[in-house]
Amino acid sequence: MTLSDFLTLLPAIVLLAWGVIMLVVDLFLPTNRKGITPLLSGIGAAAGLGVNFALTGYSQTGFNGMVVLDGFASFTNTLLLISSLFAIMLSYDYMRRMNIERSECCALMLISTAGMMIMVQAYDLIVLFLALELFSIPLYVMSGLVRGKISSEEAALKYFLLGAFSSAFLLYGVAFLYGATMHTNLAGIVSAIQGGAVQTVFLMLGVALLLVGLAFKLAVVPFHSWAPDVYQGAPTPVTGWMSVSVKIAALAALLRVFVIAFPSVAAQISPVLGVLAALTMIVGNVLALVQTDIKRLLAYSSIASAGYLLMAFVPYGQGEVASDSIAAGLFYMIGYLFASFAAWAVVAAVEKEDGKGLQIADYAGLARRHPWLAVAMMIAMVSYIGVPPTLGFWGKFYLFRTALEGGLVWLALIGLLTSLFSAYYYLRVVVVMFMQPGETEARREVWVNLLAVVSAGATLLLAFIPWQLLDLASTAFLRFP
Amino acid sequence: MGFMILLLTGFVLTFTAPWIRRRLRKWSLPVFLLYPLAALALLWNISETIQKQSAIAVSLPWVPSLGVNLSLRIDGLGWLFGLLISGIGALVIVYAHGYLHHHPQENRFYGFLFLFMTAMLGVVWSEDIFLLFVFWELTSISSFLLIGLEHPEEKARKAALQALLVTAGGGLALLAGLVGLTLITGSSNLSVMNTLNGKIVQSELYLPVLLLILAGAFTKSAQFPFHFWLPGAMAAPTPVSAYLHSATMVKAGVYLLARLTPALGGTPQWHTLLTLFGLATLLAGAFLALGQTDLKRLLAYTTVASLGTMVFLIGLGDSLAIKSAITLILAHALYKGALFFVAGGIDHSAHTRDLNRLGGLAGTMPFTAFAAVLAGLSMLGLPPALGFISKELVYEAALESASGGNALIALIALSGVTAVGIWVAFLPFWKKPDEQTARGHGEEITLWLPPVLLGLISLGLGLLPGIASKALVQPAVEAVLLKSTPVKLALWHGFTPMLALSGLTLAIGTVLALNRMRFQPAVQTILQTLAPISPERGYERGLTGLKHFAALQTNFLQNGYFRRYLMVTILSGILLVGIVLLQSDSLPWTSFTPPRFYEVILVGVILTGVFSVTRTSSRMVAAALLGMMGFTIALIYLLYSAPDLAMVQFTIETLSVILFVLVIYRLPQFTRTRGGPPAVLDVVVSVAAGVLVTVLVLTLSAVPHDSLVTSFYAENSLKLAQGRNVVNVILVDFRGFDTLGEITVLALAGIGVFALLKLSGKTEAIRTSSQEETK
Repeated sequence: MTLSDFLTLLPAIVLLAWGVIMLVVDLFLPTNRKGITPLLSGIGAAAGLGVNFALTGYSQTGFNGMVVLDGFASFTNTLLLISSLFAIMLSYDYMRRMNIERSECCALMLISTAGMMIMVQAYDLIVLFLALELFSIPLYVMSGLVRGKISSEEAALKYFLLGAFSSAFLLYGVAFLYGATMHTNLAGIVSAIQGGAVQTVFLMLGVALLLVGLAFKLAVVPFHSWAPDVYQGAPTPVTGWMSVSVKIAALAALLRVFVIAFPSVAAQISPVLGVLAALTMIVGNVLALVQTDIKRLLAYSSIASAGYLLMAFVPYGQGEVASDSIAAGLFYMIGYLFASFAAWAVVAAVEKEDGKGLQIADYAGLARRHPWLAVAMMIAMVSYIGVPPTLGFWGKFYLFRTALEGGLVWLALIGLLTSLFSAYYYLRVVVVMFMQPGETEARREVWVNLLAVVSAGATLLLAFIPWQLLDLASTAFLRFP
Repeated sequence: MGFMILLLTGFVLTFTAPWIRRRLRKWSLPVFLLYPLAALALLWNISETIQKQSAIAVSLPWVPSLGVNLSLRIDGLGWLFGLLISGIGALVIVYAHGYLHHHPQENRFYGFLFLFMTAMLGVVWSEDIFLLFVFWELTSISSFLLIGLEHPEEKARKAALQALLVTAGGGLALLAGLVGLTLITGSSNLSVMNTLNGKIVQSELYLPVLLLILAGAFTKSAQFPFHFWLPGAMAAPTPVSAYLHSATMVKAGVYLLARLTPALGGTPQWHTLLTLFGLATLLAGAFLALGQTDLKRLLAYTTVASLGTMVFLIGLGDSLAIKSAITLILAHALYKGALFFVAGGIDHSAHTRDLNRLGGLAGTMPFTAFAAVLAGLSMLGLPPALGFISKELVYEAALESASGGNALIALIALSGVTAVGIWVAFLPFWKKPDEQTARGHGEEITLWLPPVLLGLISLGLGLLPGIASKALVQPAVEAVLLKSTPVKLALWHGFTPMLALSGLTLAIGTVLALNRMRFQPAVQTILQTLAPISPERGYERGLTGLKHFAALQTNFLQNGYFRRYLMVTILSGILLVGIVLLQSDSLPWTSFTPPRFYEVILVGVILTGVFSVTRTSSRMVAAALLGMMGFTIALIYLLYSAPDLAMVQFTIETLSVILFVLVIYRLPQFTRTRGGPPAVLDVVVSVAAGVLVTVLVLTLSAVPHDSLVTSFYAENSLKLAQGRNVVNVILVDFRGFDTLGEITVLALAGIGVFALLKLSGKTEAIRTSSQEETK
């Protein structure tokens, strides 16, 4: 182990260490001063971000080729760190208000983020699995953070049990892949496949099981069933953060592993992926139509987003489209991150201490009392639909284009039709906020309002200069062995 | 470049206009007028270039990696539309200053209005089709916001949502079509596409692309059967209706069709679809209009009819038809905008728009009445208004087209439109007032000046057809057809069939108009009987059906029961893996040795155990049975010469049975949770999972496996680690970190157990004390 090995993982290490230190520091904090932990965590996340920026541009592997640092990892790490920063902003006031101010929340968030970053950087399937568990287990705890609230506890248990199942699937898949190629390292797998000495049946089984495990984390139908219940039950900042970060990490892992190691099985896997994407888009969008709870609505919307992401990923095996698949996925994620946090910040601001204020009907008249929040929510909704001038439009545009480029006209049409459904439920929120009379009170708190305005502003304004981000996304290259 | 800056200013104004309005109050009018006037000035500035049939183009890179550029190109068609948009836009601003005075949302209105104006100018000036699409969707959004200005009523909110869903949904289809078009042509530039007609038409994607683009254009331009959103959109304030829903936005679809004529047109599909939908819309619009009594709804349905005519004409596609389509666009924007202004003035003055309650307003509103007469002349197609010329041209184009049916349909529908024109433009002013009639109070200059101006322009262009044809229509026609096409409009053609048809139209229309009281109830009855199959009802049914479907799906997929979730997850996993297995080669059954009899016995014991465990009602028996299975498995290990594994298994089974016996008395009562039909499903799922895993194991065992590590450890334990006991060396040396990790984990688990034990005691104590308190 050399210094360079540690350098490869430095952003994750910073976060991990900071998280552990936070747990210790917490012991010495008096109960009435717990508010300082989010600030400290924020500093930790910012430090991680700084380290990550400093390391951007490097391309190297570490720990005997078990982890990798490349443009792709730097890009996704940036998103993950921004997401955790936003989540800390979101939870600062919320946790105190809801009387669940526990310092382990922020520490767990940092540790879990570190797990996600390692997952993105994993170059070995064993590391991938470990990282997956490292970010999942804190998540199970955080979903159940509201002790005593049945829905929260139920969410945590459901998530944990189903998550354990999916991890088992994933691990089983890794075992099969090892059986097929005698390697768990991506570089080894690639050379084994290229060498031709591969058990095809095992390879296929391994890939299928791996896909199940990752699809679960990405909340792809039919492995999505945990998502609505967990999103509804978990504390709002946790939900918001989870819906963004987990998606980024799982998608990044999927992209990396499949594009690098398994382009050769694309002929068999792509149809399966196509069916999954279609199912996800249909089920996510159709189920969202009848939701009356804003958190559930956003949960289904995030399922639907997973479908669109998967749609562009289907043609990953076609050499020239693959790079577009990656760039489109990453680029969509930027818009998704900002729009999501804008929406979740508004949800957190409107939610009341007694758990009320989560129905869509509760948003009536928000535009009159809190025009900024209502506008932020509107921008988020418009971006989710994929209507210009928002980042969501460019994201969806690129995804659709990639799908069409890959010759998947049927899939693009399904995506289009379901986007139309989605317009209905997203716009309903806008109509309620702007046109229905009502007296909705929201929390006036600096950080939450700032988050809503900043995220919504980014969603809107960055849409006028998308080429900058697009260049970033398309130069976020993967390091091939 | 000036155009680019102009559009940018428009976006800035979107956000600053409400603030400007609040600061300057009524002095904001001249400031706001600067924007459309600047647009007009820019257009005036390039008029010479336009007359020479060339175009102004600017291009800035925007998203180069996606091939999207900020390219504008103003040719004859864009120029004409630009004039209409900014000219009528200026009048709308003037009008709104009077009409929306003291409206609670007045300040916001101007922001939305500038957003729309900019977006609409962007639509007609864009060279890049994706830029066009961005502006296109912006017009839909601003229309939604403007309709939503009057939203105390549930109905208005529904109308706004409906309008946006239909147009934005069509917009998504359009986007798909445009992407397809780019894939065919390899360019997103309109002028490049327009030269590649052959390539597009021969592509196998042609039909899907055409259908998608038509879906976008038809929804935007309110073609049958998507026309229903337009009357609903009349919930918007009148200046908005005048501007968006008659003069400009609804013509965006027509504009797009005209623009893409060289690229997509000239095929039987294009011709058939466009003429068919156009004529259907024309008929439907005219018929529906006859059943209305609300001024704005009357105007909305005749707008639908006119839009149908335009689509029909573009579908015909020859130079005469295009010429008449462009003339109609011009004439219609002028007279329909004016009539909407008039309707708004009446509403403002008499506080009603119901035909039955209006009459005799000419005395109190002389200027408005004058404007109505001017616009009415054009709508009825009477000389010397521009509408007359346009109607002649429509008939000429219809007659030139192969089938005479077209002209007949046009005659029927246009008679209806004529009748409506008489009702709207003359009835409120000249009908004798009776006891039902609402009284009007005066008129304001801001409300009558804009329609008078529009009416005068309409009249002037009719009187000087040379200017209209040379300066306005010809450049646009040539921009559409991409070839030099001399256009000569004239008021008097001599005694032609067209003139006869015009006369006939007028006669039938007048008869209809005078007998309103007699036949309108009949039309309304027919419409009511037809209501269950109307497209609007279809839209509503579709929406509720979708919701029902969603609710059903929720009950099935997301009912909150964990076992359902687990089942779905497991089944899908099995399915996925099973598919892969089925796709691959079948198992090498022949290479398996036949099972020996004691293996069969052992497996039989295990299966019996499994079955009994699921049936037993005693926890003790279940524990014993589980132990039995464990021991049997250990025996299988022994049979296959793995004594070490068997030893471990024996130990663990014994331990777990003992542990179980220890805690069994502290567990809650054993309850059988379920049975009956759902249990059958459980059995199926578990059997499927079991079979799958069995097959997986067989597959695995069918493949000889070389261990990479065994020989390595054996060879190197002495060489590298100086140890003769290989197992020891592995534990403390080769995998020393693993061992360290395991120890750490054990220690952590110990701490956790300790904490849990202590905690559980505490909470119990707390709970009992609180229970005592409550007692």
